[in-house]
Order: sequence, then structure tokens, then C-alpha cells
Amino acid sequence: MIRLERLQKTYGALVAVDDLSLEVEPGCVFGFLGRNGAGKTTTIRMMVGLLEPTAGTAVLGGHDIRRAPEAAKAVTGYLPDHPFLYDKLTALEFLRFVGGLYGLGGAEAGRRARLLLEEFGLGRMAGELTETLSQGMRQRLALAAALVHRPRVLVLDEPMVGLDPEGALELRHLVRRLAGDGVTIFLSTHSLAGIVDRGRLVIVGTLDDLRARAGSNDGSSPSLETVFLDILHAGGDGRA
Amino acid sequence: MTLAALLQPRLLSLRNVVRRDRLRAVTVTGLVGLFWLACFLLFTRVLGYFHGLGTFGPFLTQRLLALLFLTFFGVLLVSNTVTALTTYYLAAEVTPLLAAPLSYRRLHHARFLETVVASSWMVLLVGLPALLAYGVVYRAGPLFYAGALAVLLAFLVIPAAVGVLITTGLVLVFPARGTRDALMVGVGLAVAALVVAIRFLRPERLADPSALVGFASFLGAFGATGSPYLPTTWAAETLLPLLGARPGEPLFYFGMLASTAAMLFLTSAAVVERVFLIAWSRAQTGHVRAGAAERPLSRWLAVLVRPLQGPSGCLFAKDVTVFLRDASQWSQLLLVSALVGIYLYNFSALPLGDGTPLALAMRDLATILNLGLGAFVTTAVAVRFVFPMVSLEGHAWWILRTAPVPLAQLWWSKFWIGYLPLVVFAELLVATTNGLLHVPSLVTVAFLLTLVPLMAAVVSLGLAFGAAYPRLDTQNAAQIATGFGAILYMLACLALIALVVALEAWPVSRLLWQARSIAGVAATRTAALLALAAVTGGGTSLGAFWVAKRSGLRALARLGGT
Repeated sequence: MIRLERLQKTYGALVAVDDLSLEVEPGCVFGFLGRNGAGKTTTIRMMVGLLEPTAGTAVLGGHDIRRAPEAAKAVTGYLPDHPFLYDKLTALEFLRFVGGLYGLGGAEAGRRARLLLEEFGLGRMAGELTETLSQGMRQRLALAAALVHRPRVLVLDEPMVGLDPEGALELRHLVRRLAGDGVTIFLSTHSLAGIVDRGRLVIVGTLDDLRARAGSNDGSSPSLETVFLDILHAGGDGRA
Repeated sequence: MTLAALLQPRLLSLRNVVRRDRLRAVTVTGLVGLFWLACFLLFTRVLGYFHGLGTFGPFLTQRLLALLFLTFFGVLLVSNTVTALTTYYLAAEVTPLLAAPLSYRRLHHARFLETVVASSWMVLLVGLPALLAYGVVYRAGPLFYAGALAVLLAFLVIPAAVGVLITTGLVLVFPARGTRDALMVGVGLAVAALVVAIRFLRPERLADPSALVGFASFLGAFGATGSPYLPTTWAAETLLPLLGARPGEPLFYFGMLASTAAMLFLTSAAVVERVFLIAWSRAQTGHVRAGAAERPLSRWLAVLVRPLQGPSGCLFAKDVTVFLRDASQWSQLLLVSALVGIYLYNFSALPLGDGTPLALAMRDLATILNLGLGAFVTTAVAVRFVFPMVSLEGHAWWILRTAPVPLAQLWWSKFWIGYLPLVVFAELLVATTNGLLHVPSLVTVAFLLTLVPLMAAVVSLGLAFGAAYPRLDTQNAAQIATGFGAILYMLACLALIALVVALEAWPVSRLLWQARSIAGVAATRTAALLALAAVTGGGTSLGAFWVAKRSGLRALARLGGT
């Protein structure tokens, strides 16, 4: 459902993303873990069409983002790390607007908007300007916007940022539910499995694969953060 | 933490901007220098003219100095009140300062300095050459120049301190965003009223010495003779004796000015120190109005855009909603309305009706120039409403870029929203002014036809320059319209309009001549001239439109998103 093919981004001599290839099957949740500045957000911005790759491409739902950007975007929902919204639109207007951009008719966009606002606990703020919402509420609203057109691929960049513990827990449940419904989810996070370092994919595999690769042979179950640091310090460079 | 350390981020940012974009720094400095020089020359000439009018002249220049300070004071008071709202209560950089081990008094001093600089630079740009011109005309000694600097420094502090006190009071009572919006519309209204008032003074009367007595009596009525309790009077009364214009007590008046400035500065510091946290906390609280209910504007627009297919409807509804809810746009609309009113008034006041050959030639010239002037006035509107369109998407640009909407469709959506009102505006403006000039209808038709592609090019250029020089960090359209890109946009439009007017000058002058011709003129000849005007002017405009559209799309593609 998601395929990155030799994706590369350079800024002069600086290589932000270096020959990154990976594939995510339908209904999978793919965690994209890396240090600050490792190239996670650059990769995601190339995937969703916000940044032109220097080389390579991303294929979302069978559509190449470079050759058929509209088709690829139509099946994708995206939540950026710092989702800026239109301050002068109300929460309801904002969701209806995004629905319209993704081809939903006026009535359908309105229905979906109301439904998602209730689902994300924003129903009573539907008529408020987004500039008056708290950061957590804005994060929820942006997430609702990413889902308004029922995407088959969901790309989330640091989705936990700005959420309270309850919101973070709800997001985990939502991610599981969506994956259960067949939505493919690609999320980058500091708090959570492919690991990217200095623009190169260091390792990719299941959580158990990563733990095994990190050399946890004593039967204990190390935290993902520990696994992450162990792999980076070991300078891993292959696929699990 | 010292005051210098608090100001360091701003100074270092400025240095980095200059280092990274030297061309821009040089261009802006050059333009500012030219403006400064032009102000100086204009003031020197006008003051020299008055000064040479015998005993009455010096009286008038003295009154004008008081009027100058009175105008500055009004502008500074409004400007400082609006700026203080941002620098004290809305700016993002206040948060880390509040978290730092920093006293509120010191925070006030740093913010105060920033408020003064941000609000007063425009006044300094005009005020310094004006005072310098006074010194030159009166052949003043060095004491005047030193006194002028000291007076300006003390004078700038007073409205800034009053502005901080007003803002703090308003924030304590009303939500900060509501206060900002109300202030913006209020400022727009005040500036529009001031511009109209100055125009209706008919300053052209100043060229006629016999009308000067009436003007001087007006100055008296306007308050320029000065109340002894106003800082504007103290400033003028300090400088006039130093100029050698007349005897007085400059030290006493400077003492009044400086001590009032110091007292108000300390008062504002004491008030801010006492209530800053309460006011800041209130400023961070949003104003909940509608709850879950849908707003009427939203309902009406949904009905209005129903005939539009696909994303075009929602893009139109979004842009109109954002525009109507943006107080800075309302403020600009008020100002533009005032300027258009003055423009029309100027045409109605043109003395072209005596039928002499000179008057006829002047009318022909005014007619041909009217196409350019009308187009340029419309460009001045476009720089405020079309150029900022891309920037106003701000950091929310990612929403449009990640949606399955082709870039060209986004461009066309913005184009139509800008083009339709502007082309109607330009057509009405030129048709009305041509009517006032009694221009033959054939020429008016040629102008109206020319404006259709010309305005398309102006809007296309606005989107291209707006995308090439975006300012995503501000949501204030008026601020975006004063940036470097906006200046380049105006220059590009000026060049295009001048070219189109030059290309059409000959066929239009022939048409004007034919309209006055007693002997009949062949219809084919008239048609040929009309066609020539349309092809040359229209072709140039369409070429500019096409090139600007391509550049605009490329710039939009580079814009990426956050």
C-alpha cells in the first residue's frame, strides 16, 4: 500500500534522505523512528507531495506521488508535526472545507465533519474559530481533517505532540481501529518500526525483529527507546 | 539579564537578514534613502516658499511646525496602542521571556523599546527630514539640531507610554484578539478620515498667496496654534526659539516635555509591573461565541457556492470567509475607499473646461494618462488584496498542497477571486473618470477593452510576486503589502502599465482628434484605430499574464508547506 523507491533528498552537499526504500502492506501500522534531524519529516513531506524528491519516488495506494500526485493524495490522509490551520475558520467550516478539497459534496462533507467533531470530542466547539482552540484541540481537529475523506493511507508525523495522556491513548486506539479496518498507517514518532539515521534506513522489521537485532538475548523485553539507541550505537545498516 | 541581551535576538536577526540577502538590503536602503531625500527636498522647497512671503510667511511656518507635531502625535498614539498590543500581549517571544527569571519591569523596558522602534520609524522617516529642512531654511545653528534630536526622543516616549497604558487597560477588560480587531478597524477609519480631511483642505490653495490667510485661519481652527497643555506645543515651543524664529523659553518647554516623558514611562512601567501577568493571562484566553452552532456566514456561503463544481466552491467559500473575518482587510478597505473618493474628487476638480487649445491639449493628455492612472490605482488595491493572497495561506499551505487538487486549479481559484472584483473596480473607475473628463465614448470603449487583459496581467503578476516573496509569518495583510516583494510587484505593474499606455497613446490620440474633427471620418479608419489599440495594449497584457502565470505556478510549487 505504501512503497518508497530509492527516495533521496539532498540540499547541496547535505544529504537529508539517502536512497530510502521500504514497503508497507495494507492494514499495517509502520512506526518510523529516528533521532531529531534524521530525515523522518523530510521523508514524510516527500511522500505526501510537499517536497520534491531529488531522486526516487513514493507510491501510495498504487499511485506514484510524482507521476499521479492527485490520485495519490486522494487516497491519503496527512497530519503534519505542527498542524497550522486557518485561524478564521470555525472547526466545522474547516472540516467541511477539507472535505470539499477531497471531492466530498457539500452535504456529505457536512455530515462527515459533524460526525468526526463528535468522535474527537470537539462537537461543542464546532462553531468556534480555530484560533480559539487549545493546541490539543487543534491537533485533534487536524487529525479529524486527515480522516474526513476516509483515506486508505494515513501518514502521521509526530501525532502525539500536543496531546494529553487521554488524547494519546485515544489516538493509539484509533490507530488500531483504523488498521483493523484496512487503513495503512505510517507514523513517525519520538515516543515509540523502521529506524532512520542520517537520512539512511538503518533497519526495518517487526518490533520483535528490532529487539532481536538489538541483541536482547537475556529474555528480558527492552523498551523500544532502548532498542532504538542500541541499534543506532551498534551502527546497524541492514534489514531485519 | 540586561536590556541589551533582551534586544539581542532582534538585532542579530536583522544582521542575519542583511547578510543573507544583501540585494534586498541594498534595494530597501536605497528606496528609503530616496524617500528621505525626496521628503527633505519637498519640505525645504515648501518652507522656503512660505518663508519668503514677507511677515506672514514665518508665522505660517511656525504654525505648520505645531501642526506637524500634532499630526505625528495622533499617528504615534494610534500606532503605539496597536503595536503594544502585539509586543506586550500577543507576540510569541513573550512566552520564553515570561518563563525566564526576569522581572516584569525589565520585560516592560525591553518591550517598550521594541514598541517605540516599531511604531515610530515611519514618523522619523518623515520627521527628521522635516526638522532638517526647518534648520536649513532658517539657517539654524548646531544647538537647533541637538535640540531637535532631544525633542524627538522625548516626544516619541510620550505616545508610546500612553499607548502601553491604553492597551493594558483594554486587555484587562476585553479579549486581546477582539481588541486587536477593533483597533485595526478603528485605525483604518481614522487614517481614512485623516486622508479625506487633508484632501478637502485643498492644499493646492497654498500655491496662491491670496488664499493663505484663509488657510492660516483654518490652521488656527484645526488646533495647530496649540494648547499649552499639549506635548506637541512644548515640542514646537522648544524648537522655534532655537531656530531663531522668535524669542521664547526653550529650556522650560523642553523641561516640560522631558519630565512628562519620564513620568509617563515610569507610570507605564509601574502599571505593567503590577498587572502584567493578569493582563497576559487574559490575552491568552479565547473568546467563545458560537459554541456548537453554525455561523450564518457559513450557511449563506454554502448556498452561494452550490453551483460551483468540485473544490472550486469550497476554495471560494474559504477565501471569502477568511477575508470577511480578517479585521486587517476591513481596515484596508476603508483606506482604499477613502483614496478612491479622493481620486474621483480630484478629477471633478480639474480645471479643464474653458475650451482653449491649451485646455483641450491638457484634457487629451489627462485622458490618455487616465488609463494608466486608473490601472495604477487598481494595482494599488491589488497590492493590498491580491499580492498577500498566497502569504495569507500562511503555514496552513500544507492543507492545499496535500489535497488532490492540481496546483493550476488552486492558482485559477485565487485568480478569479482577485480578478473579478478588480476588473469591475477598474472599469467603473475609468468609466467614471472618463465621464468626468467628457471623453468620447469610443475612447472609453477602447480603455474598457484594454483593461480586461491588463487587469488579468496585474492579478497574475500579484500572484506570481506573492508566491515568489511569501511572508508566511504574518497574518496581517497590510504588513504583507509593505514588504520587498510588494515593492517589486508595484514596480513591475508600473512598467507594464506605462508600456501599455505608451503603445495605446498614438491610436487613442487619433481617436480623440477624430472625435473633435468637424469633417466626417471613415468608420473603417476608426475601427482600424480601435483594433490597433486593442491589439497592442491587449497583446502586451496577455503576454505579461502568461509569463506571470507560469512564474507564479513555479513559485507555488517551490513553496512546499509546513
